Amino acid sequence: MNKAAIQRFLLFILLVLLQVWLFNNIHLFGVATPFVYLYFVLKLPVKMNRNTALMLSALMGLVIDLFGSTLGLNMSVMVIVGFLRFYLLKLFAPRDVYEDYVPSFEALGNFMFVRYVGAMTLIHVTILHIMESFTLFDPIKLVSQILGSFVLTVLLICAIESINVKGFKK
Amino acid sequence: MRNLVNFILKNVYWLLFFLLIFLSFQLLIHNNEFHRSKYLSVFQEIAGRVYLVSNSVESYMNLKTINSDLMQRIAMLEQEVRNYKKEVEILSELIFPMDVHEYESAYSNAFSFIPARVVNNQISRMGSNYITLNKGTLAGVREDMGILSPNGIVGVVIRVSPHFSKVIPILNPKYQPSCKIKGTDYFGTLSWDGKDSRYISLKELPQHAVFNIGDTIVTSGFSTVFPEGVLVGTVEDTFKKKGENYNSLKVKLFTNFSALNEVLVVVNALKDEQLSIEKVEDNE
Repeated sequence: MNKAAIQRFLLFILLVLLQVWLFNNIHLFGVATPFVYLYFVLKLPVKMNRNTALMLSALMGLVIDLFGSTLGLNMSVMVIVGFLRFYLLKLFAPRDVYEDYVPSFEALGNFMFVRYVGAMTLIHVTILHIMESFTLFDPIKLVSQILGSFVLTVLLICAIESINVKGFKK
Repeated sequence: MRNLVNFILKNVYWLLFFLLIFLSFQLLIHNNEFHRSKYLSVFQEIAGRVYLVSNSVESYMNLKTINSDLMQRIAMLEQEVRNYKKEVEILSELIFPMDVHEYESAYSNAFSFIPARVVNNQISRMGSNYITLNKGTLAGVREDMGILSPNGIVGVVIRVSPHFSKVIPILNPKYQPSCKIKGTDYFGTLSWDGKDSRYISLKELPQHAVFNIGDTIVTSGFSTVFPEGVLVGTVEDTFKKKGENYNSLKVKLFTNFSALNEVLVVVNALKDEQLSIEKVEDNE
């Protein structure tokens, strides 16, 4: 295993722990929950084999599910997000990049990176909340949950990203 | 043949996607069956230990509310003990048939309690609430045992591992125990609408049932999970849908699910006996 893979593994564990210890318990105004574990998938290298990336994404969802209460929910959402990531990257990331090119503020540019994060997050929270509301349908609550979680997740992921960048520079 | 291989190689990304989606939907659909499977109860143990860490921080922060809750409960119990003492004094002057006493004590001895602590409590998520406790099979907890808080009903155990157990609370539409209005024999089913963790509805109550706002709701004791008369809440409001022959009540819960920490697991020593005799009648 090379250094990047080990770093990725540690990031995986850190994000799972943060999600189950901290962020799963946040329900701001009763609607907004941040899904920070999405950051793991966002930071996979652009050139990574897309099958591997999809499997890793599904694995992240499965692990979050095992800690939570609805088995298969996060996994199916992460499979969809991981699948669409390949096509979104075609839109947002430049074509010719070197081997371990990872999306970040610097690599994509601030505006482009936020758009990439925003698009992925919007897909994620929309599917997640729609699937979650199958048991109890309440359209107003559903829309406010999607919007609330979307804003909170994007803000937190951008915050983590900026901390991450500073950490690496030191 | 070569075309087929080429096709698969070209579309392996799509195939993988559909395979994973199929897998995750299988998990989602068979959620309840997987709950009872063995390999998941191994993970339950791991998840429980992870949650134990966050809980040790959380329980410190909740100490104040829990303390005041306990003090109130102690005060109430003391008052009750005093009342009972008075009653015993009065009763002891009367002659009481011995055999009735024996039956009653046999019944009340059927239930014993195991104290446990909540290590994970996900209450505000719509429709999919579960609670994890820090006691498992080693402490004598089994599936289908009831859970009480110092204030009232909590839920029922659905999965156990050696050191942890997973509880489905009444704040989950999948669990609907039967309850009645205290002092009457009219009963209905409790069910949660997913909106407010302080309130629950008592549905399918007969139209002719007599009740007042402020009446106490208790468990009916029809199942082997809870003894009769466990506190649930008080009637806050009543509503009836058009064309339904049943009343529904809005019930304010005694249990504060957002600050749940110390709970009791209800052990029913006569459960197997009751279930076996009920089974016999089914077969006939």
